[in-house]
Parts: sequence; structure tokens; C-alpha cells
Amino acid sequence: MANVRALRKRLKAIRNIRKITRTMELIATARFKKAMDRATQAAAYTKKIGEIAADLSHAATDFSHPLLETHPEPKHGVLLVLTSNRGLCGGYNSGVMKQTLTRLREIKEHGQTVTLEVSGKRGQTALRYQQIAIDKQFNQFEDKPAFTEINEIADRYIRLYVEKKIDWVNVAYVRFESSSRQTAVLETLLPFAGTEPKTGAGGSEVEYEFLPSPQGIIEGIVPAAFKARLFKCFLDAAVSEQIFRMVAMKGATENAGEMISELSRIANRARQAQITSELSEIIGGAEALNH
Amino acid sequence: MSAPLRLVIVTPERILLDEQVDALRFPLYDGQIGILPGRAPLVGQLGAGELKIDQGSTSRSYFIDGGFVQIKGPVVSILTHAAIPAKDLNVQTAEADLQKALHMPAHTDAEFDTKQDAQDRARRMIDLAKHK
Repeated sequence: MANVRALRKRLKAIRNIRKITRTMELIATARFKKAMDRATQAAAYTKKIGEIAADLSHAATDFSHPLLETHPEPKHGVLLVLTSNRGLCGGYNSGVMKQTLTRLREIKEHGQTVTLEVSGKRGQTALRYQQIAIDKQFNQFEDKPAFTEINEIADRYIRLYVEKKIDWVNVAYVRFESSSRQTAVLETLLPFAGTEPKTGAGGSEVEYEFLPSPQGIIEGIVPAAFKARLFKCFLDAAVSEQIFRMVAMKGATENAGEMISELSRIANRARQAQITSELSEIIGGAEALNH
Repeated sequence: MSAPLRLVIVTPERILLDEQVDALRFPLYDGQIGILPGRAPLVGQLGAGELKIDQGSTSRSYFIDGGFVQIKGPVVSILTHAAIPAKDLNVQTAEADLQKALHMPAHTDAEFDTKQDAQDRARRMIDLAKHK
């Protein structure tokens, strides 16, 4: 029969682990709520930008901007990968890595080159293990990405794109669709697909005065929309990471609970068996003395 | 008298402000504009500078850093990268920004424009920080 003391020791260890995973789950839940709040607040900005763009499309006939143009022969681009700094979040990072590696293979097949930028330690180590060179890495984005920092990145992309030094910008990240559904995706941010002027929002048939001019506003609003979109990727990634961690830790806590009940059953059996055998030894000994 | 204005300030990070105001003054790309209730619809590009909000007999100031304004009916939406309450501005950091702007390289037209914009922005920030 198994050693009772060893079983007890294991039980204690698993109880400790359960405590940790449960705490992590709670922390992730709290962070998720905060990240979610930030994402909803940020959505107001994107919505407004979209509204203005829709108003513009009524007024301006040619909606053109360097960021909206597709470069004819793409050669070089930027792949931005958003992963987490910490692990223990289930398939979060592996999903992003899968997208990244597929895209990298595709780029190679088409004979193009890429500047690889990776945010998050997990993605960096995974790529280093695959011996893929990383051109630029960020570690400062935890669950609260700041717009000023993303603004810098976006400005750099815009400059490179307008100067035709890069022909596309891809982002691999986990998109937040709903709180029960997040998927790792690869999105093309540049050439910019536009702000999708909403059809059916016909209520806004207002005659606006444009200062300076519709074209002038377009020049300002397209970069702003691009920045908002990039910022949304970072926010989505932060929200999804917390959800993944929440789910992973919930599973871990449940598993630990199951293991505890299983192990304590075995330990009790073992203890019972030990007592029984001791008893029978004593009785046996007493019997032997009587005869 | 038309309906009072409702001012909504939105930054990429959050909705900063959503309240009733009496009058507004803020910089467009080429100069100041004042808004009173009953303004005709407008979409405009903002410059950097002071946003002054009048509410009754009190007024408040924010430093806004470019962006857009949309006026539709009584609702004035200001979309900006950053809006800092004037009382949180700091002359020293603004001066440092100006120094940085003065030392920016300006070899091409685009770089020259950026430099000019950065200088204007820093000077206005200093102005507002001094007179808050």
C-alpha cells in the first residue's frame, strides 16, 4: 500500500497550488474588468471617427489618401506580433504564434522581406527558439497600453508607408469578439481598408461646414482612424489575455480540486489499511501469548 | 435662445467629459473659434492650444493637442489625442518640449513642418501653463 506520509505531502502541495491558481483567476477577473472598461471607453473614439468619416463621404467625392493606396508590387512589410509578457494563459500565445509562422512562411514563398516586431516576452522567446530574427521588441505593454506609446509606433508606420519604404503592415493578435469568444487573427492594417462609412445611418444628412475643406479633413482623419485601429488591437489583445488566463486558471483550480479528492481518498484508504494491519498484528501477538 | 450646448471630449483612451456648457473657445488649424448655442453644423480640424469652457460664471481650460471637432445640433464632440486640464500643466516640461522642438532636424519640407508644429504646440502650452 502507498506510503501515507508521501501522499499527505503531495496533497498539501496540490492544495497550495490550488490556492495560487484560484488567486490568479481572481486577479485575472479583476484585470479583465478593468481592461474591458478601457476597451469600451476607447470604442467611443473609434465610433466618432467613423461617424465623421461617414459625414465626409457625403461631402467629398474622391476619398483618397496615401494610406488608402495599395502599393503595386509589394516587397517589404512589417509584421507586428502581440503576445503576452507572462505565461499561464492557455493557448493565448500559441494561437498568435501559429498565425505569425504561417504568415512568415507565406512572405518567404512570395520572395518578400519583412521587419518583424514583437511585443511580449512570450512571443520573443518562442521566435528565438525557432531561430527567427526579431527586428524590434517591446515589453512595456502590460494590460494597460497607453495611447501615447502606440501613437509613436503608428507615426513610424505611417511615415514608412507614405515614403514607400514598406508596402504593408500586418498585425497578429488575439481579437476580442465577445467575452466567450476570442480568436487569434492576422489583420492587414496598411493599406488601410478605410473607416467603413456605415450604410443605413442615413439620419446624418446634415449640411456641414468643413474647415479647412473635406479633403483637408480626410488628410487628418485617415491617420487618426489608423491609429485608433492599431490602438484597438493592443486593447483587444490585453482584454483577451486576461480572459484566456481566467479560463486557464479556472481549469487548473478545478483540476487541482479533483486531484485533491482523489488523493485524499487514496490516503484515507492507505491509513485505514495501515491501522487494520497494525491491529491484526497486535491481536495476533496477543493470541500467541495466550497459547 | 437655442438649447444649451453639450460638450463631449473623447480621447482614444476614454471619454473625458460629457456635460452641458454655455460657450466654448478652442483653436482650429488656423485660428481660434468660438462656439455658442445654435451653431451651424461643422466638422473641423483642431490645432494645439487652449480649450476654454464657460459654464455660468465659471470657466475652465484644457490643453488640447490637435484632433477634430464635430458640431451637430447642440452636441459638440471634440476628438483629440490628449486633453490636459490647464491646472495640471507644468511650465518646466513645456519648456523642455520647446527645447526639444528647437533642436529637431529640418532638412526636408516635411521635417520643417513637423518642427514648426512642435514649436507652436510647445509655445502654446507654455503660454497656457503660465496664465492658468
